Amino acid sequence: MAEAAVPARRTGGVAAPGLPSWSGTALRVVVSIAVTLFGLMALTFFIGRMLPLDPVTAILGDNATQEAIDAMRAQLGLDQPLWIQFGRYVGDILRLDLGTALTTGKPVLDDIARVFPATIELATVGIVIGTALGIPLGVMAAAYRDTPVDYFVRVFGLLGYSTPNFWLGLMGLVLFYATLGWVGGPGRIDTAFQWDVEPVTDLLLLDTAMAGQWEIFRNVLSHIILPASILAFGALAYISRMTRSFMLEQLSQEYVVAARVKGLSWMRTVWVHAFRNVAVQVVTVVALAYAFLLEGAVLTETVFAWPGFGRYLTNALLAGDMNAVVGCTLLIGIIFVALNLLTDLLYRLFDPRTR
Amino acid sequence: MAEPRPRRMPTRRRHILAASALMASLALPGAVQAATPGNALVMAWNIDAISTFDPAQIGEVVTSELLQNTCDALASFDPKDEKNVVPSLAESWQVSEDGQQITFRLRDNLVFPSGNKGTAQDLAWSMHRVVKLGFGNAASLTEYGFTKENVEQMITAPDDRTLVMKLDKSYPTGLILQAIAANRVATILDRKTVMANEVNGDLGNKYLATHTECVGPYRLRQWNAGETVVLEANEQFWGPAPKLRRIIVRHVAEAGTQRLLLEKGDVDVARDLTPEDMAAVEKTQGLALSRTLKPQLVYWGFNNANPIFANEKVRLAMRYLIDYEGLGKTIMAYNGVPRASFAQIGAFGALDEKEGQPFKLDLARAKQLLTEAGYPDGFETTMIFGTLPYAPPIAQHIQANAAKVGVRIKLEQMANAQLFARHRGREFQTAMLAWQTAIPDAHGNASRLIANPDNRPEAKLTQYPSWRHAFQSEAANKTVDATLLERDESKRVAMYHQLQKDMMQSGPSAIMFQSVMLAGLRGNVRNWTWHGFQAYYALVSKE
Repeated sequence: MAEAAVPARRTGGVAAPGLPSWSGTALRVVVSIAVTLFGLMALTFFIGRMLPLDPVTAILGDNATQEAIDAMRAQLGLDQPLWIQFGRYVGDILRLDLGTALTTGKPVLDDIARVFPATIELATVGIVIGTALGIPLGVMAAAYRDTPVDYFVRVFGLLGYSTPNFWLGLMGLVLFYATLGWVGGPGRIDTAFQWDVEPVTDLLLLDTAMAGQWEIFRNVLSHIILPASILAFGALAYISRMTRSFMLEQLSQEYVVAARVKGLSWMRTVWVHAFRNVAVQVVTVVALAYAFLLEGAVLTETVFAWPGFGRYLTNALLAGDMNAVVGCTLLIGIIFVALNLLTDLLYRLFDPRTR
Repeated sequence: MAEPRPRRMPTRRRHILAASALMASLALPGAVQAATPGNALVMAWNIDAISTFDPAQIGEVVTSELLQNTCDALASFDPKDEKNVVPSLAESWQVSEDGQQITFRLRDNLVFPSGNKGTAQDLAWSMHRVVKLGFGNAASLTEYGFTKENVEQMITAPDDRTLVMKLDKSYPTGLILQAIAANRVATILDRKTVMANEVNGDLGNKYLATHTECVGPYRLRQWNAGETVVLEANEQFWGPAPKLRRIIVRHVAEAGTQRLLLEKGDVDVARDLTPEDMAAVEKTQGLALSRTLKPQLVYWGFNNANPIFANEKVRLAMRYLIDYEGLGKTIMAYNGVPRASFAQIGAFGALDEKEGQPFKLDLARAKQLLTEAGYPDGFETTMIFGTLPYAPPIAQHIQANAAKVGVRIKLEQMANAQLFARHRGREFQTAMLAWQTAIPDAHGNASRLIANPDNRPEAKLTQYPSWRHAFQSEAANKTVDATLLERDESKRVAMYHQLQKDMMQSGPSAIMFQSVMLAGLRGNVRNWTWHGFQAYYALVSKE
């Protein structure tokens, strides 16, 4: 979608005949989104149907008779030609019906509404930590290029890229939960508090804060801080390395030399002048990192018994639950499209040249 | 000169410090609470497999265990001896002289959570429903002559407390009680509530995916798929009240995480520990392991439609490639015990542990058998297997031994759904799987792993692993049928013994291990009671 929107931005928007420029751009964006999501849906649907997985066995059990299997196949419409199945599926989706998840027996939309808040909460705390540390580290690494500061940031980033989250999560649990007792264990909240939270948004930090339940808020925070930090480590590595790269390019520009000649301090030159010029690119990087976290971090969610989106999607895939898989894929597509749109808007906000 | 005023900290720095202090206080150890509630049993368990709570549909281990504690059946397995059947919903039963009719007398204080009274009519309807819906569990009834057409005549309720079950043959009463009365197909459902929630003639199947409208010591209070299951004590229960008010199952897929939770006291029971974790738990003070045999066999099955495996000498040779003893002490140290017979240890008619596993790794014997079968230089084949944690190392072990006698095995690991689909479709050469029976009687496995009523591909008897293996022996079929109807118990045992010995030599698969169930327990958990067919939550207490 972002690629489709770029030409319009660069040319200031080419209006469709008879339409003002903004409406032409909006039309292109809408068409582009629709084509992207339809393509995604078609691809996932047909790949899913061609995989040698048998969702009917998952429903009926390994002991079912062939008669029962055939009946269930007919009931689910799996005995119809693929193009009919796809047509029905598209029709259902247009009515906002993603079907029933075979693995939970519940509507896919309800399942997603249940698991997604857990992932949003985890990803948001993770991206906040990753951004808060990643940007300063990237800027400092560029400002002090080829010094111990730079080496530290680069090695730290490399570790973030290369350390498996699964291992890191388990080690984190052993150290901070089992040994030191500094953080809560796996899961979103202690069992003792499980029924004390009135779900409003299903974002437990927000719900407990809004209800003024500060003791439970602390408990929830103690549970989320470790998995979010593990996720943040990866995001931090990506953000810091990209920020460093953008900053190095800016710091080699003549206006930086001019600023220094005029007597500005190095830090002021770096943060106020150079960083302002890379802010747009950094926003894109942060948005992309956030999108990847929202997809769900399967291994982190598994280690931390986090009832999130990544685990739901993986389980659905392994069980051949294609309704759930296609529904989740659509959501991921929508997340990427939405974040790309947001990035485009922020581009326009930060960079006057793109307006 | 006036004393200089203390310099006020810049506003922005004050804000940063305040925020840092808040964050630090939030992450302090005080925020962390351990220990489980005193009136609840908290279990860490991988509950991904739960997809419904409908007794007519459930087929996997986790839901079966949960339902056994929420939905009583006509009869129950004795907690102390899985082969004994004891009264449950039915307080007594009588068997006709010809053995073809059982009359059950129900308790008069059966009350559903809704407040509706449970009657024999509800129970009869619930059993009819199982057959009519035709899910996998229906086989527990159809195997004994109940069909969609006759079930309403064969299972009747002449009054509120009497249920009559007519049988098409004179099956051994003990077997019928195990196979039907103590099975989840004989649970009582609140007909009024279920039918009030019927959708498109589904007999409440969709509604029961997330509700338990039964009579039992607990009832389902909450199920969040992939997150948690909460059972709450049923105050209307006819029997002694459960010791603990709640059973909370937390979904924890990772074994290492389960162990940490157990060690820290955040759960009372861990259900999916790896052998390494179990060894550590065993050595940790304040923790204990509970172990029981499971009626599940891990086997290496051969597709007899392949001419190579149609030769029984080849199948026998494959058995000598398995180091039962070595694997039993290493990879399967905590997961299983060596077992080559199709009847699980402890079942009625099963060979004892020694006779039921006569094989040992013997490459020379395997080579000799292959030569006699016409394959002196071996052959190429494949083995498919799923995601059981011990499957890959066992497969590699067999592959390495097979290579030494010229048999080149290509290993293919896949998702379980794909494995089952290929196995059911006979699309494999060899496959490693597990099979679980629902009754503590040799007939349970004999009727599925050995007997095959119709071997034609178009018969599609996919519920029979013997059919999936394209294995059919007329002699074995006759023996299985004759043994089932033999009313002299000692003769029946002798017939099963002989059948097991024969099938270990010529059967369609190399049975390797009988699974073991293990649970890691906190030291304060008392009376954790279970065997291969049931776990009894209502008996558990905590100090």
